[in-house]
Amino acid sequence: MKRYLLPGVLVVLALAYPLLVGDLPVYGRLGALVLLAAIGASAWNIVGGYAGQVSVGHAVFFGFGAYASVVVYTHLGWPPITGAPIGMVLSVALAAAIGVPTLRLSGHYFSMATIAVGELVRVLSSTSDFLGGAQGLGGPAMPRTVFDLSFISATPFYYIFLGVLTFLLGLTWMIERGRMGFYLRAIKDSERAARSLGVSAGRYKLYAYMLSGAFSALAGSLYLCMFGFVDPESGFGILISVKMVVMAALGGAGLLFGPLVGALILVPLEEFSNSLFGGQGAGFTFMIYGAIIVIIARFLPSGLLSLFNRRSTRHVD
Amino acid sequence: MTTQTRRTLAAGAALLTLGIAGGALAQAPVKIGVIYPLSGNSATAGNYSKMALEVGAEVINNGDADLAKIMPLAKGGGLPGLKGAKIQLVFADNQGTPAAGQNQALRLISEEKVAALIGAYQSGITLTASAIAERHGIPFVNGESVAANLTERGFKWFFRTTPVALDFARAYSSFLKEQKAAGRKTDTIALVHENTEYGNSVASVIADQFAKDGLNISQKIAYSANSSDVQPQVLQLKEKNPDVLIFISYTSDAILYTKTMKELNWKPGIMIADNAGFNDPAFVKSLASQVEGLVNRSAFSAGKPGSVPDLFNALYKKKTGGDDLDDVSVRGLQAFLVLADALNRAGGTEPAKIQAALKATDLKADQMVAGYDGVKFDDKGQNVLAASVVTQMRAGKYVTIAPKARATHEAILPYKGW
Repeated sequence: MKRYLLPGVLVVLALAYPLLVGDLPVYGRLGALVLLAAIGASAWNIVGGYAGQVSVGHAVFFGFGAYASVVVYTHLGWPPITGAPIGMVLSVALAAAIGVPTLRLSGHYFSMATIAVGELVRVLSSTSDFLGGAQGLGGPAMPRTVFDLSFISATPFYYIFLGVLTFLLGLTWMIERGRMGFYLRAIKDSERAARSLGVSAGRYKLYAYMLSGAFSALAGSLYLCMFGFVDPESGFGILISVKMVVMAALGGAGLLFGPLVGALILVPLEEFSNSLFGGQGAGFTFMIYGAIIVIIARFLPSGLLSLFNRRSTRHVD
Repeated sequence: MTTQTRRTLAAGAALLTLGIAGGALAQAPVKIGVIYPLSGNSATAGNYSKMALEVGAEVINNGDADLAKIMPLAKGGGLPGLKGAKIQLVFADNQGTPAAGQNQALRLISEEKVAALIGAYQSGITLTASAIAERHGIPFVNGESVAANLTERGFKWFFRTTPVALDFARAYSSFLKEQKAAGRKTDTIALVHENTEYGNSVASVIADQFAKDGLNISQKIAYSANSSDVQPQVLQLKEKNPDVLIFISYTSDAILYTKTMKELNWKPGIMIADNAGFNDPAFVKSLASQVEGLVNRSAFSAGKPGSVPDLFNALYKKKTGGDDLDDVSVRGLQAFLVLADALNRAGGTEPAKIQAALKATDLKADQMVAGYDGVKFDDKGQNVLAASVVTQMRAGKYVTIAPKARATHEAILPYKGW
């Protein structure tokens, strides 16, 4: 009975959060922002955390999703959310195209290759008139129908994001416990050993990369629906990739709830420090942000959740 | 309840009443939310604009004797239309991202309860931040974003005071046509621009306008503002040797081009720079002597002594420790003054009253700190009297050479350089 108490309380809290902060729009929006960041970081976690292939170019997929949504609106007049499946399909194809050559690279070389691809796509997007060039494209300025998802309140976004995150974490959980999860962990520990045991390392890394890309694209589409604008920097910028990595690493890469914990800490930290200190104009926000990352990297290199895992292993002993 | 506590309570209540009464005497300040890039790539521009707005608020709150002779709002003592309420600026950092800009807009509206918003420098961020203001029905005044689509969204709460890229293109075009009429060669024109949002968008607007006006752009060179060598580009220019060269550049690349052109010893007959890098104090301080005769545009023209821009510039100089108002800071300050004027006429801080007052704005040229012909908004919220002046580098300083009404100097051509 006691086992279910804490998770139960957390689930109820997650469901009731918008009601608890009902008349404080900033906090309502903060909840949605945390979930959105958690979706992106959890998507990254599949390939970066479980399979240990540290991609620093996931903004490519995020941007594909965001641009797919804004392009169907700009060029076809459809609601942006209808671009989400298109972005996901394109991202899977792109992941295959990028993954086949680059996933052969090991360690840092893979990370460097993903950065290169990310920057390449960013530069190309800024010269494409179809994508609005360097100026970017805006979604519907005023909501036409409810499908445009232009809400004044952040509550609908909160529940949409919560649903998507729950689905993604459920899927990750199934993978983690299934054959693929074992394969990925084996590849992460030692690819050579995994291969010698008959694991088709290349294939499973690629599967993980494609799945990860698809959900990163979904995060991008959802971002566009909420913010209504994307340009090369906010779609394909390297900071987006880095944030995914940092959030997952902070909470615990390769752990189911790691990215969510990371988002729960970093997103409020970013918002509050900017609200409190940003107006003074000294870039103080980023100093605090950076300092916390340094401290965690120094003292808890495997993420915050590793604290709890360490304790629970001791219990078993 | 003991007598002791009762007495304390009574005293407390009395004090409280006094406090409320005291509060009613001094009007609560009017809060204006200001969103600027205070960190990130454009932090310099944002922080200079922030200081310009602070100067503006100080003038309205505390008064300035010289300005009061021309500007009714500069008498001090806050906004007379709001019973002397002072203006309180609440600054927020957009961090150079559309997401942060929108988040901060929501915070300023819902937590700080600002009466109106000003911002947000980068066009993309102005787009997302003003969308939030529109949905909440809060006026948003933009002073410096030039993307054309901002005023095409059918918004009712969005007002833009700045001229847009098309106005710049027209200013160059009419300047070049005048030069042509005066017998200078303008047959071939080279357009050299950096390849991000700013450079690309301004270049395409100039190309369109010039094509309409029959000016021949013979060469177009796009480059990355981060590049550390521009010899290939300058050699291309040297080979084609255009009559007119137009730069759309940021600071470090402007410096690089200036130095490389001198090294390779090539200069065109007329050289025009689209503000930005060539107006940066860092550029002007170090390289003014290398670009004598450079033609530029600006929303800031110091004007005659005792004029509004001249007086504000003196105050701003004191605040920044020696920097003059420039194109960006003056446009921010102008947006603030327009909003302050509207607030004063609104006679209250209800959003609808401010919106109505903004729509009725009719400021004349002599009230302008920026080089506009005045401020008057069309149905889309664009200032139809926005304009910019054409300037020329003379012995380390930009002076105004066109349009005729504002010119303090005659143009001297051809371009002298070093």
